Amino acid sequence: MAEVILKNLSKRWGDFVGVDNQSLDIHDKEFLVLLGPSGCGKTTTMRMIAGLEEPTSGEIWIGERQVNDDLPKDRDVAMVFQNYGLYPHMTIFDNIAYPLKVRGTPKAEIRPRVERAAAQVELTQFLDRKPKALSGGQRQRVALARAIVRTPKVFLMDEPLSNLDAKLRVTMRAELKHLSRELKVTTVYVTHDQIEAMTLADRVAVMKHGIIQQLGTPDEIYNDPANLFVAGFIGSPAMNLVRGRIEGGQFLTEDGVKLSPIASEDRSEVVLGVRADDINVHEAGEGDIDAPIYAFENTGEASFLTVEWGDQRVIARGDRHLRKDQDDVVGLSLNPDHLYLFDPNTEKRIRL
Amino acid sequence: MRDNTLKYVLVLPAVLVVFATAIWPLMESARLSATVGRLNRPGSLDQYIGLENYTWAFFEEPSFWNSVWVTGVYTLLTVGLTTLLALGLALLLAPGGRLRSGVQTLLILPFAMSPALIGVSFRFMFNPEFGLFDAFFGVVMPPLADVSWLADPTLAFAVCVMADVWGWIPFLTLVLIGGLASIPQDTIEAAQVDGASGWRVFRDITLPQLGPVLAVVIILKSIFSLKTFDQIFMLTNGGPGTATQTLSHYIYFNGMKYGQIGYAASVAWLMVIPMILLTYLYAKYVFRKN
Ligand SMILES: Nc1ncnc2c1ncn2[C@@H]1O[C@H](COP(=O)(O)OP(=O)(O)OP(=O)(O)O)[C@@H](O)[C@H]1O
Ligand SMILES: [Mg+2]
Repeated sequence: MAEVILKNLSKRWGDFVGVDNQSLDIHDKEFLVLLGPSGCGKTTTMRMIAGLEEPTSGEIWIGERQVNDDLPKDRDVAMVFQNYGLYPHMTIFDNIAYPLKVRGTPKAEIRPRVERAAAQVELTQFLDRKPKALSGGQRQRVALARAIVRTPKVFLMDEPLSNLDAKLRVTMRAELKHLSRELKVTTVYVTHDQIEAMTLADRVAVMKHGIIQQLGTPDEIYNDPANLFVAGFIGSPAMNLVRGRIEGGQFLTEDGVKLSPIASEDRSEVVLGVRADDINVHEAGEGDIDAPIYAFENTGEASFLTVEWGDQRVIARGDRHLRKDQDDVVGLSLNPDHLYLFDPNTEKRIRL
Repeated sequence: MRDNTLKYVLVLPAVLVVFATAIWPLMESARLSATVGRLNRPGSLDQYIGLENYTWAFFEEPSFWNSVWVTGVYTLLTVGLTTLLALGLALLLAPGGRLRSGVQTLLILPFAMSPALIGVSFRFMFNPEFGLFDAFFGVVMPPLADVSWLADPTLAFAVCVMADVWGWIPFLTLVLIGGLASIPQDTIEAAQVDGASGWRVFRDITLPQLGPVLAVVIILKSIFSLKTFDQIFMLTNGGPGTATQTLSHYIYFNGMKYGQIGYAASVAWLMVIPMILLTYLYAKYVFRKN
């Protein structure tokens, strides 16, 4: 019911820049994921939207209103804190009920709503306990329930699933996705987890050093990275980045290993990006290039082969039935439709 | 020597010191409280009269009840005022509060003064001839200029309370700042985002989490207020009349000035009762499980 607009938002502590001149339009009802390495300013951005941190400069708009001078309580946002922020002296029930109580919800309405929120995060049997008597993952779910117990203008969720076990994380992910579609509330969601980002987001903003590197749908971010950082950050395993040059329509690694034909003019310095998925694994001699296996990993769903091209290593993804051993030689071929080139100096993408 | 024996040998000196300076005088005063106990009457320190001193205090001595009353009101007022003011100051001075830094250092000053010194300096400040307050009121509120503060029973009592509150605020403030600092900041932020106003955050989040520290502060201050002596002694010496005569002062007067050491001992033992109660509460809060 509200869009969130950040205009040239900066946060500095002395000389240190936490968030740097960031502009971002988060559409009404959109699920926006902030993705980036630790310390890149995700939490700081959230806290500024919530009103817990005062921006050094820039504007924050929620809906039709500039909220820079509004207190957190007047911004009508609900937040899941990275470190939960549960009230230790209250029971889980009272924790979840607090935003309702303090906003004057009629008593009769509170209990059913708290119970519903608790059920959504599978916490029903813990309502009488204090936070101290819960595990980390359970506490995190209390924080989540406290946010979803009411319908605010904006949800701010700071790594709300980071402490859950793998199975519960998948369940909660689906629950959150369902909930955000059902409630149609603008959501800003911080995560380190790429799968979470990819599955939940309408759009992903990839951040580094307080600057948004790329903003786009999960597809765009994954298939059309704007620069080296995004290419190397998104995907698991991350995209292989091979330094080399282009001569006569051929990509050669730094040590002169001829890798793959590529439709580009000659360049003396270039980085080739290729995802593990786009390297096909063959028997020795059957691909474009033979290479020895440095390490072989089998995850059950797939096999990952780390191979050596000159002194650079890349990861290829093989069939899940493939069995190889260290130092075996395999043949590899690159999928020519999914190769990316980057300028190593500007780190920008070179469009083919 | 076995470790087992050694550990007793090692604590023995401390035990002996405590016995000589605390336990033995305590037992001796209990014994004295059951004697006629006149310093000026030889042999009376061994002349046992049972509980007569106690019944005397209860039924024959209105000045005892006067001191009970004075001590009670004094304790209630000083504990209440000091705690409230210290809490307010702590909120302003705590991390994230509105004041800070230099002010904190300044704050500790009154606490560095001995209570007797506080008593003396307040007596001077309220001196009708050349006192600071006298001069101050002379300018601000001329009708109050000629009031002789320490000569009026109610005003003298008020000055005693004021001096005590002034002297104790720093310590309580520092303890409460410590208490406030240990409240996780994110619980306060969470409440703000949840929609709580400043007052509700204080009432629902800060105060309950500060509870145990606050309890300890109130109990400690009650103990200190109950036993106040030196400040009163220097400031009003219990007067005018007996208007500011607290129990400790009453005990001192009866014991040292009138030489009724047996009677004084019995009143001292009557004071032990609320003290033990407070100490028990204190221990309960300080050594609380988890
Ligand atoms: N109060 C502060 N004073 C100084 N620097 C701060 C302060 N708060 C945060 N920072 C710095 O700002 C940067 C961004 O912090 P932020 O908490 O936003 O990172 P983040 O992206 O949320 O990281 P993570 O993924 O580890 O949670 C960090 O380098 C941090 O050290
Ligand atoms: Mg963070």
